[in-house]
Amino acid sequence: MIELLKKTPLNKVHHELRARMADFAGWQLPLWYTSILEEHRAVRSGAGIFDVSDMGRVWITGGKAGAFLDRLLAKRAGRLEVGSSQLCLLCLEDGGILDDLWAYRVGTDRYLIVWNAGDIEQKLGWLQRWAGSDPDIVIQDKTADTVMVAVQGPAVCQLQNLKGVSHLPRFGHTRTRIGDVEVLAARTGYTGEDGFEIIADAANGLHLWESFMKQGVKPCGLGARDSLRLEAGMLLYGQDMDKSTNPFEAGLGWLLEMDNGEFIGKNALLEIKRQGVKRKHVGFQMTGQGIARSGYKIVECGQEVGKVTSGGYAPTLDVNIGFGYVPIELATIGTDIEIMIRNKPVAAEIVNRQFYKRGAQNDPQRI
Amino acid sequence: MTPKEYKYTQEHEWICPESKNKGKVGLTDYAQSQLGDVVFLDLPAPGTQVEQGKKMGEVESVKAVSDIFAPVSGQVLEINQTAIDEPGLVNQDPYGAGWLVRLEFSKPSELGVLMDSEEYDKFVAELSEEGSE
Repeated sequence: MIELLKKTPLNKVHHELRARMADFAGWQLPLWYTSILEEHRAVRSGAGIFDVSDMGRVWITGGKAGAFLDRLLAKRAGRLEVGSSQLCLLCLEDGGILDDLWAYRVGTDRYLIVWNAGDIEQKLGWLQRWAGSDPDIVIQDKTADTVMVAVQGPAVCQLQNLKGVSHLPRFGHTRTRIGDVEVLAARTGYTGEDGFEIIADAANGLHLWESFMKQGVKPCGLGARDSLRLEAGMLLYGQDMDKSTNPFEAGLGWLLEMDNGEFIGKNALLEIKRQGVKRKHVGFQMTGQGIARSGYKIVECGQEVGKVTSGGYAPTLDVNIGFGYVPIELATIGTDIEIMIRNKPVAAEIVNRQFYKRGAQNDPQRI
Repeated sequence: MTPKEYKYTQEHEWICPESKNKGKVGLTDYAQSQLGDVVFLDLPAPGTQVEQGKKMGEVESVKAVSDIFAPVSGQVLEINQTAIDEPGLVNQDPYGAGWLVRLEFSKPSELGVLMDSEEYDKFVAELSEEGSE
C-alpha cells in the first residue's frame, strides 16, 4: 500500500525521540513519546509541548478581509482588536458545522485562521467560493511553510522562552522572538490549561522545539492532546460535531452572534432555534465499570437513544468520562443512562460537560 | 527480558506453568508497550471455562481496546485483583505483578503448540522490523 501521509517540519525529531507514530487526518504525528498518562500529567502540573502543525494556518488579508470573515463566521471577527483572537464556528447554509476554528486579527486588514486538519480542500474551496475574484480578499494557506507548536501547562510563564510574552492576556497574541527565532505567539490552546500556541517558519521548527525541550518542557503526543481536551470539556470536530450537527445541539450556541449582522447559516439557525433542538451533546461519567469509546451506543430503558462521540479515561479525575448526543428530554445533569460496552449495558450519569476546571478543587468522586 | 521458563502465544500472552496443570497468564512486555498505559482490565470470573485461542477478556489502554486470548483451555482459578485495581502494573511489571489470571489446564498438551522465549523473541523482532518499514 502506498502511504502518502503528510509530515510536519518536526517529523524527524519525533522519530529521534522514538515516539509511537500514528496517522491523524492524513498526517503522521506522534501518538505518545513515553506514556499518554505521563504526558497528560505533565501538562496539568508543569509544561508540555505539542506539535500541532497539522492544524491548517490560513492568512486572510486585504481591505475586505474583515467583512469577508464576518460573512463566513458565526461570530464577528472583523470586530476583534488587532492582537486579539476568538474561537469561531464556520457554518454551512443549513446551519451545519463545517469547522470550528481560531481567528486572530494580526493587523488592520490581516487575519489568521487556524482550523482542524481534516477536509482542507473542501474548506479552502468554501472560502474561495465566497471570496470570488474580489482583489480585496486574499486567501493564503501557509500550513506547509510554517510550523506550529502548543506549549501548555501551569508552568509556561516560568519558562525562559516565554517570559517575554507572559504579559499577554488570554487570547492575546503578538509577533516576537524566542531565542533568535521570529514567531507569532498567542495565549491560546485546547488543553484546559494556561499556555501558548506558537507559529514560526518551517525551517525554524526544530530549533524552536529543542529550545523548549532544553528548558524541561515534556514532549506530548496526540493521545494526551485528546485526553486533555476531553477532560476539559472541549469538543473535537469530526467526532463531537460535524456537518450534520448544528451549534445549538452541540451546545455551542454561545459561539453564535445571532443578534448582530448576517452570516452564512444564520437564517437556518434562527429557524432551528425557533423550533428547538431534539437532541443535545452532553457529558457523562461512567458509574459502572468500563470505558466508553466513540461510536458506542447510549441506551435508556433498553432503547438506543444516542451515540458516544468521545470517551475515555480522565487521568486527572481518575474516572471514565465521555460525550454523546441524547434526546433533549434526557439532557439533564443527574440523568441515568447506560452505555453499551461490548454488548453489555454499563451505567453512566449525565454530568456537567466541563469535567475538569483549571484551579478548581477536582474531587475525583464527584464532579 | 522474556522469561525463559514461560510459554508465549502469537497474540502476545504468556503462560507460566507452576505445575503440570496449573499456571499464571499475562501479557508480554511487547504487548504492553504496544498498548501504552493500561487503564482497565475485564477478566473472566473464577470458574469460567476458557478455550485455547478464544477470547477470554479485554484490556483497555488510554488509546485502545484489545482482546485477551486464552493461551490454553481450562478453568479460571483466580484473577489478579491487584492488577484490576491498579492496571498500570501490566505496564510496569508485565511478567510479574501484572499477571492476569491463574488457569487450571484441561489439556496440558496444548502447551506444546506455544512458543518458547527464544521463538517469541524472534517473532517480536520480525514484527518490529515490519513495523519500521
